[in-house]
Amino acid sequence: MVKAEKKKINLRVNGEVHTLLVAPHLTLLEVLREELHLTGAKESCGRGACGTCTVLLDGEPVRSCLLLAAEAEGRQVTTIEGLGRQGALHPIQEAFVAHHAVQCGFCTPGMVLTAKALLDKTPDPTDEEIRLALSGNICRCTGYAKIVEAVKAASDKGK
Amino acid sequence: MEELSIIGKSAGRVDTAAKATGEALYTADLSLPRMLVGKVLRSPFAHARIRAIDTSRAERLPGVKAVVTSADSTGEKWGVFRYTQDQAFLPPDKVRFIGEEVAAVAAIDEDTALEALTLIKVDYEELPALFTMEEAMRPGAVLIHDSNPGNINVHVKIDVGSVEKGFSVSYHVREDTFTAPEESYFQAEPYAVAASFDSTGNLEIWMPNAGPHLKAKPLSNCLRMPLNKVRVRKITIGGAFGGRSEISPADVICALLSRKAGLPVRIVYTREENTVATRLAHSMTATIKTGVDREGRVLARDITCHMDGGAYSSTGPIATSVPFLCMEQAYRMENVRYNGYRVFTNKPIRGMFRTHGRAFACGVDLQLDMIGLELGIDPVTMRLRNARQAGDYTPTRSLVPSCAMTETIERAASAARWKEKWGKLPPFHGIGIGCNSVQTGFPMGIRGGSSAFIKFNEDGGATVISGVVDNGQGNENMLVQIAAEELGILPEDIQLINADTEVTPSDPGSYSMCETFVGGNAVRLAAIDAKKKIFKFAARALEANPDDLTARGRKIFVKGEPERSIPFARAIRMALAKGEPVSGEGSYWPKVDSRREWVENPSGQLSETFSFGTTIAEVKIDPETGLVDVLETWASQDVGFALNPKVIEGQFEGGLTMGGQGGMLTEYHLWDGGRLLNPDQAEYRLPLAPDMPKINSIIVESHDPAGPYGAKEAGMSIAMSAAQAYVSAVCNAIGVPIKEYPLTPDKIIAAIEKKSKKA
Amino acid sequence: MRLPSFQYLSPGTVKEALETIAAHKGKVLIVAGGTDIVNRLRQRLVSAPYVMSLKAISELKGIKKNKGELVISAGTTLREVAASPEVSGLFPALSQSASCTAAPPIRNMATIGGNLLQDTRCLFYNQSELFRKAAPACLKQGGRVCAAVKGATRCLSVYQGDLAPALIACNAKAVLKKAGSSRTVQVADIFSNKGKRPLAVEEDELLTRIVIPIPSGPYSCAYEKLRLRKGLDYPFASAAAFLSLSAKGVIDRARVVLGACGPAPVLVEDAAAFLVGRKPGDADGLSAARCALKVCRVVENVALPASYRKKMAVVMAGRAIGEALGQLSGAGA
Repeated sequence: MVKAEKKKINLRVNGEVHTLLVAPHLTLLEVLREELHLTGAKESCGRGACGTCTVLLDGEPVRSCLLLAAEAEGRQVTTIEGLGRQGALHPIQEAFVAHHAVQCGFCTPGMVLTAKALLDKTPDPTDEEIRLALSGNICRCTGYAKIVEAVKAASDKGK
Repeated sequence: MEELSIIGKSAGRVDTAAKATGEALYTADLSLPRMLVGKVLRSPFAHARIRAIDTSRAERLPGVKAVVTSADSTGEKWGVFRYTQDQAFLPPDKVRFIGEEVAAVAAIDEDTALEALTLIKVDYEELPALFTMEEAMRPGAVLIHDSNPGNINVHVKIDVGSVEKGFSVSYHVREDTFTAPEESYFQAEPYAVAASFDSTGNLEIWMPNAGPHLKAKPLSNCLRMPLNKVRVRKITIGGAFGGRSEISPADVICALLSRKAGLPVRIVYTREENTVATRLAHSMTATIKTGVDREGRVLARDITCHMDGGAYSSTGPIATSVPFLCMEQAYRMENVRYNGYRVFTNKPIRGMFRTHGRAFACGVDLQLDMIGLELGIDPVTMRLRNARQAGDYTPTRSLVPSCAMTETIERAASAARWKEKWGKLPPFHGIGIGCNSVQTGFPMGIRGGSSAFIKFNEDGGATVISGVVDNGQGNENMLVQIAAEELGILPEDIQLINADTEVTPSDPGSYSMCETFVGGNAVRLAAIDAKKKIFKFAARALEANPDDLTARGRKIFVKGEPERSIPFARAIRMALAKGEPVSGEGSYWPKVDSRREWVENPSGQLSETFSFGTTIAEVKIDPETGLVDVLETWASQDVGFALNPKVIEGQFEGGLTMGGQGGMLTEYHLWDGGRLLNPDQAEYRLPLAPDMPKINSIIVESHDPAGPYGAKEAGMSIAMSAAQAYVSAVCNAIGVPIKEYPLTPDKIIAAIEKKSKKA
Repeated sequence: MRLPSFQYLSPGTVKEALETIAAHKGKVLIVAGGTDIVNRLRQRLVSAPYVMSLKAISELKGIKKNKGELVISAGTTLREVAASPEVSGLFPALSQSASCTAAPPIRNMATIGGNLLQDTRCLFYNQSELFRKAAPACLKQGGRVCAAVKGATRCLSVYQGDLAPALIACNAKAVLKKAGSSRTVQVADIFSNKGKRPLAVEEDELLTRIVIPIPSGPYSCAYEKLRLRKGLDYPFASAAAFLSLSAKGVIDRARVVLGACGPAPVLVEDAAAFLVGRKPGDADGLSAARCALKVCRVVENVALPASYRKKMAVVMAGRAIGEALGQLSGAGA
């Protein structure tokens, strides 16, 4: 086993800069969860095939389980914790709650972030555009119907 | 029924905001001081004797705090029933599937734990392994369990009426065989366990579960600790779907590691471990022979079913029975014989899955289509003529107290415009129907009931204490809605303490679809109990008879005279002032036949009530590629009463996606002997957002006499009827029955080609 | 699951990168988007003491239309390729192939270079260590047996990249640099057609850019992909078609390339005979597509049967050809 030296990296997460000493083989997902205790991003497949690890990198959704933490240096990382908290939900989070788009909740942070990236670019998406944008996020509970409703409701047209 | 103000409304759930913000903690998110990382060493052999395990090098690795093997366990064997106790976690003698747990380590970080695993040396003696049911049942095949000749784990035999007589007077008889490989749960949250002992030997343990009390008892057995020292804690859970009800080796292993290390330990499964080392669904071959009269009414049915159970019993007797029981509930059949065999193989263990036996269910229903075609009767009429009715007894003698099966068929067919479409659609365009029924609870002996407590604060708020667990389906919200409605206060006035075995009373758990019926009823009864006591005091203040009072919106008032009221909180304080503080207590035990046993005596009241449902699907097939485009679907279920319509729609939509879209089009497991080739989402294909059609949810209410506000179950029936509807629709579209599932495009192309060759 | 441990290097220029991979020849893995290599690292299919990132190298980004050619730097993401008006305007097949690769978040990370140079895949090979250890080492792992096909002596793991068939159909070239030298090859020649070692790229070479010649006369191209779901999946069958017209309005060049049917994308050579020399309206697309059967070497190593995939190669080829013909007819040729 290669014993690599820990590297100093600066990560900008939700507007705050963190200086961390991490082993180079750690992914962004692992650093977020284990070093920064931001557990909203999750591992459900370890293959980049499910979307529960989704975070925004400079506003675009990426698979944090496939991204080495060091690769995120110099970029803006947004996790679900950067969007809202209890009592002060982001409009997309509010829409998810109001439209029953959350059941077990494990896929929800990834869905919300991916939806945010979509609405930031396309304020009035069609149902098809919403489904395609979310095509990389797997939900086992909802069948996606109310997730799509929620995103529609949170879009410009929905308001 | 009095007009309801909270029940029956699609109020937002109490648990979803925390999930949307990422604040909700699942087991893998838990952090305890000085917590260690646990990892499990798994067998690379499907069947092998363990000659020796040498953990010395692993123990010496810096950073390793504990290593456990069978030597550290009590040797207790697990099985849901006393007569199926065949699984020793960390087996001492032999391994029976690739991936079985052999040893485990706890270390200061994941890298150290992974390295430690490589330092454990296991001396295996490979044994012949059996990978298919045919191999396993062959005379002379090696025995996977010495106690089971022919590697038959369970044989459920049901014989009602006279099947031979029924066939002899049938107008038409046909026999078909249907098969399907395994599918599996793919809950979004991979399994994880966190365990911690305190200085007096109390165990706190967290894991995704479908019933904490069902975990606590086996843990107490396996660890030889009294129940009051085993605390299965409340945690947010990312889905169960039937696969998280039993004690898991990881639970015991994590506790052993924690006890040995003297520190908290957390084990987080990879997706692969979740697929292989928890449960899969059964693969199955079902041969169904059905005889009908001229009108298509079933006179006799004879079914033989073989299910591959994998290496251990798990919920064997139940899993072997439920596919049959669902169909005997859904359709009338006086003369019926069922021989269900669960067979051991050297493969990962199979459990109960939300779509219980897709080959069986789709087979029974597709056969009705096929018979109908031969008799000139359309599929909807076939279902109507055979549909279960309220007041019937099922063949195994369960009374059906409420049933709106017929209404679900008629309303789904009407909404789908069946009459305009069936038989009139263009080529490769089809419509199909599926009907099913699901138990609301099983007989579970002393663990079959639920109890609840309610305590009050002097400002009128309440805490409800219940053993009910929420896997994501909305059970917590259901309890809060019921308590708020019954007490006459608001949901935000209620705190819920649930699913914690130190504090909450016993509850049967969610996997038998009874949380609403049993758990909800217990809370309702507890609220009624409290209300009675509260009204005693309120009556004095209002100078009225307690029977004339009602409560709503935090006020207690005389029925019909809302101005004659006092605030709810005042009645609470009056009671306190009198030294008689109010609390509520309620218990609900379903009225089932306690003598009914899955194998020994499969007769008598199985559940107190049943749900019934129908799904219709309309599809279009690309005849060049065999790919299926699902155009639209209609899901209709008799849920008794809709406590929260939007929550129920969510269950219909999720169930249809799992049972129909995934279950019948894209989900199947592939094997290389005992090696699972597609354990993760890269090669096990779950439905995606753009795959899904419009889903029309049609809630039907039969107002069950015993359910809380008339409610039954709403989480499983649609998964099953959707599977059936998808098969019915695809076969209608191509004009050929397909009996091997799922309906992947290669099978559809092959069926189309076979048909055109015949023509 | 943790990745295996390694040292991380992040050169700032192509020159530095080339010096690095020369210095650690054979001991360094390159990470571009990470969507292929990180998966294989996690499964311990590969490991190396060094991982070299391309993220800091700005020379590897960008799409530029020069005279007579479109140049796409190897570090351009698939999202950028799919969204580029130059790419969609000049080579719709390439846009189509980039837009249907995986899912949007993966396309935000994955690069055209990484996608092109992805490893071949097989159900029996792409497994975690536990499951690979449960069977004898297969040919691709350096062992002696093929787990997918009993008795096979050659590895037929599948190349499932979406961009390669489109690039090859469009006659694209790849520029490979190494410290002190550079070579330009046809994209088709990057592939060895051997499942065990599918890429004819040396350990100290870096793919820096793709160059696609822009034909002077009318031309069209299309890409068709077959997958079971409407997202995420690798192709079970795919085909790209390229057609160009002479001044007389007759097809003078036709290239049909299959993907997902063997260790390399395959040019369906015989297809040209049914297309070249004819006006688009008279072309025999069906017969051209059927030629796919001869060159499609599929075995049972992915989740759908080989016999089905072979039939679908013909269907996808037919659709790609049909679309390309349609584009030409539409252009009033």
